[in-house]
Amino acid sequence: MLDIARKALELAVATGVEQAEALAMRTRSTRIRVYQQEVEELASSTGSGVGIRVFRGDSVGFSYTSDLSGDALAAAAREAADNAEVTAGDQFMGLPEPAAGFPELDLYSEKLQQVPLAEKIELTREIERTALERDSRISQVDSATYAEGEGLVAMANSKGFSRQYEENTCYAFLQAIALQDGQMQTGMSFTTGREPGQLEPAACGREAADRAVALLGGSQCESMTCPVVMDPFVSASLIGVIGSALTGEAVQKQRSMFAGLEGQKVAAGIFSITDDGIHPDGMASAPFDGEGVPMGVTELIKDGILQGLLYDTYTGKKDGKPSTGNGIRGSYRSQPHVGATNLRLAGGTASLDQIIAGVDSGFYVMEVSGIHSGTNPVSGDFSVGASGRLIRGGQLAEPVREVTIAGNLMAILKNITVIGNDNRWVPFGGSIHAPSLLIGEMTVSGK
Amino acid sequence: MLSENLVSKVLGEALKEGGDFAELYAERRHTVSMSLEDSRLERSSTGLDAGVSIRVTRGRAVSFVSVDSMEERDLVEAARLAGQGLAGDSAGMKQLELITLTSPHVIEVTPASVAAREKAAMLQAADAAARGAGGEIVQASVGYQDEVSEIMIANSEGVLAADSRTRVRFSVRAVGARDGMMQTGADSMGAHRGMELFEVRDPADVGLVAAQKALIMLDSQPSPSGKMTVVLHRGFGGVLFHEACGHGLEADSIEKGTSVFAGRIGEQVASGLVTLVDDGSIPGEWGSSTFDDEGTPTQRTVLIEEGRLAGFMYDGLRARNLGAVSTGNGRRQSFRHPPIPRMTNTFIHAGTSKPEEIIAATEKGFYAKTLAGGQVEPASGDFVFGVSEGYTIEGGRVTTPLRGATLIGNGLNALNNIDMVADDFEMHIGVCGKDGQGVPAGSGQPTLRILDMTVGGTEI
Repeated sequence: MLDIARKALELAVATGVEQAEALAMRTRSTRIRVYQQEVEELASSTGSGVGIRVFRGDSVGFSYTSDLSGDALAAAAREAADNAEVTAGDQFMGLPEPAAGFPELDLYSEKLQQVPLAEKIELTREIERTALERDSRISQVDSATYAEGEGLVAMANSKGFSRQYEENTCYAFLQAIALQDGQMQTGMSFTTGREPGQLEPAACGREAADRAVALLGGSQCESMTCPVVMDPFVSASLIGVIGSALTGEAVQKQRSMFAGLEGQKVAAGIFSITDDGIHPDGMASAPFDGEGVPMGVTELIKDGILQGLLYDTYTGKKDGKPSTGNGIRGSYRSQPHVGATNLRLAGGTASLDQIIAGVDSGFYVMEVSGIHSGTNPVSGDFSVGASGRLIRGGQLAEPVREVTIAGNLMAILKNITVIGNDNRWVPFGGSIHAPSLLIGEMTVSGK
Repeated sequence: MLSENLVSKVLGEALKEGGDFAELYAERRHTVSMSLEDSRLERSSTGLDAGVSIRVTRGRAVSFVSVDSMEERDLVEAARLAGQGLAGDSAGMKQLELITLTSPHVIEVTPASVAAREKAAMLQAADAAARGAGGEIVQASVGYQDEVSEIMIANSEGVLAADSRTRVRFSVRAVGARDGMMQTGADSMGAHRGMELFEVRDPADVGLVAAQKALIMLDSQPSPSGKMTVVLHRGFGGVLFHEACGHGLEADSIEKGTSVFAGRIGEQVASGLVTLVDDGSIPGEWGSSTFDDEGTPTQRTVLIEEGRLAGFMYDGLRARNLGAVSTGNGRRQSFRHPPIPRMTNTFIHAGTSKPEEIIAATEKGFYAKTLAGGQVEPASGDFVFGVSEGYTIEGGRVTTPLRGATLIGNGLNALNNIDMVADDFEMHIGVCGKDGQGVPAGSGQPTLRILDMTVGGTEI
């Protein structure tokens, strides 16, 4: 793949542009879905392609192709150069300067390929079986899925960068459906690793079943203002939204509630969050980002004080700061944009049980929905659908559904009163290492 | 794209080990996208995706392989891999027969015939219009995409179909600021058409409407919470029914019994005022195509007729499993994804009331003018929707703008609680996500009133 990246780079340079970069990727993925213990779907894909980014003066142009023939690469190089003709120039545009060193990371497990397909199918069946056997009220399991992916990422640019790395991941998830008195509730769980041996299918199946059953019989509660406990799934959704507002781009474009607040108190003193692009367990870890900048650890909020923001090369230059290695690229099809890698919220000391025991009257939230439509990252207004259980006298009480929880994100951050010790990796809306949280007060809208 | 001989050979290879159905889907797609922010055209990008996928089924089991290639040896290998897991008697291959249908989607001006500079000028015009709407507009982001996709579909039942799809989309998001408060407004348009789309509506108008929404929301008050009568403005509310009812009418959730509509054909499931239709054959509409992604011609399917459950949306696989006929709803994001039952353009039929009558008849309520999108739990039908532009209704009049509101409810309850439907139908465009696949989907509805819906706000 590095050969292809170099060839594409040569073709791009030959169009007469000042700077050029080529990202070549080869990917392979497999997905197994089991339903009623039979394989329902077995899907596999192989793909490869190149994305070419060029700078003509200080304007950027981009093109990609999944066709790696010489003609297609030459056409892509030409189109990238043409695209640079129409974009607006900007003195901050350009490739990063070559870095001195890169982190050594182990992101590839040989075992992923060595484990036979039959074992992966059996693992998927085990997930479904465990959920079904966990509770008689589990009527079926929807989408018990095992998925794995491998990628070879190669990049070359006209400043002399030329490197590649390999990574792989696998995960499994399911949605358990609980049925009682004609009411259906779903509960989901997942497990992630770099090879099947790191997955925990039985625990995953049990958790999904427990989550579905816990919500059975739920109904709307009265509207109220009360303390809200968020489990790690829910707090991860919240942290994902916060993370997207902590980028240089969001602040520079006045799309962030954190604009102008660096060095100021933006959250409770117990709240600290970092972006960690090199954590061995983080699914977004890599030696270099989508621009060839080494990835690393960036403190965002420490003890409630806003420390800094995430930058790629462009937004960094604009603020007179170095890139934090956060030029993210989903694939060769897209240009880099600034974003979080693995967000890690510092854990506290209380267990989830202890947090709940400390709440006299409140709401334990297990699921939120509509997080994107319900969040305004500019104003911080936050209003999402929620289900979970009421808390009464420190004990979980009746299930609740069809309500919303609302507040302002800035107020919520400052009102975090307890942080749990139960951090876990949650792969929704990013890669987030999140614990349970107790928010002192939120608005719950129901009846 | 591929010769008939090669296609037959590949399908034959796929069925060698067994399998009762084999399909080849080839696609070559060119995309162009541009984005503008801070009044600068920041990004201009073009791309080519080309490849083939092979799908083999046996009973309910599906085996699927995709490759980023159109080379014979890669396709034969993909077919061999796809066929591997499904050993048993083979159904064999029928003679391929090309289905020719005249596409109703006429493309007058192809996107490729318009220079990048002209497209860039449209983004600039929308930005200028948004900023010109008022000094409080501090930001506008404008997006443009066009996509031309050539598709070839062949299967072991003899179907051979080709389709060409051109889609153009334009969107603006404006941000207004006042006294430290910021509010956004958005608008978009799109169609299965060429650049003539912009003759129907000027890009500047999209910018202006987005900016006006942001400005209105600067005057907004925090939304109250609780049960209210909700009037859904035409157009945008369609996405609520798409999420809250449409997904439950797709045959995969019917097959597994995870839908509240399973086994209820003929029953009254909604207010008698509700007729819900999916129609992928509407000329030029965003979610339309001549064939679906399995080579079945698209059609108009009545899902709910005057409140009675009338039908479901099927792809080929679920139709075979359930003894039904495909309704042309087998769709996929690209050749890299297997087809699943999906909505095309889904909408509630116009009624007979006038929109102003509905407002006038509402003593106290919530007027949801623009929805921001939402989510549904298909098993229960519980949904949640953000309202990006909402108002109080007092004494039969629309009054104060409200911010931070969320509509929350249950699909069946909402369908049953509709008590007035207006005659002012409108469609809107979106990208629907399901099983990790995004496809263009249209949704629409006339202005209508729903009793007893929960509005989640920040004020009690």
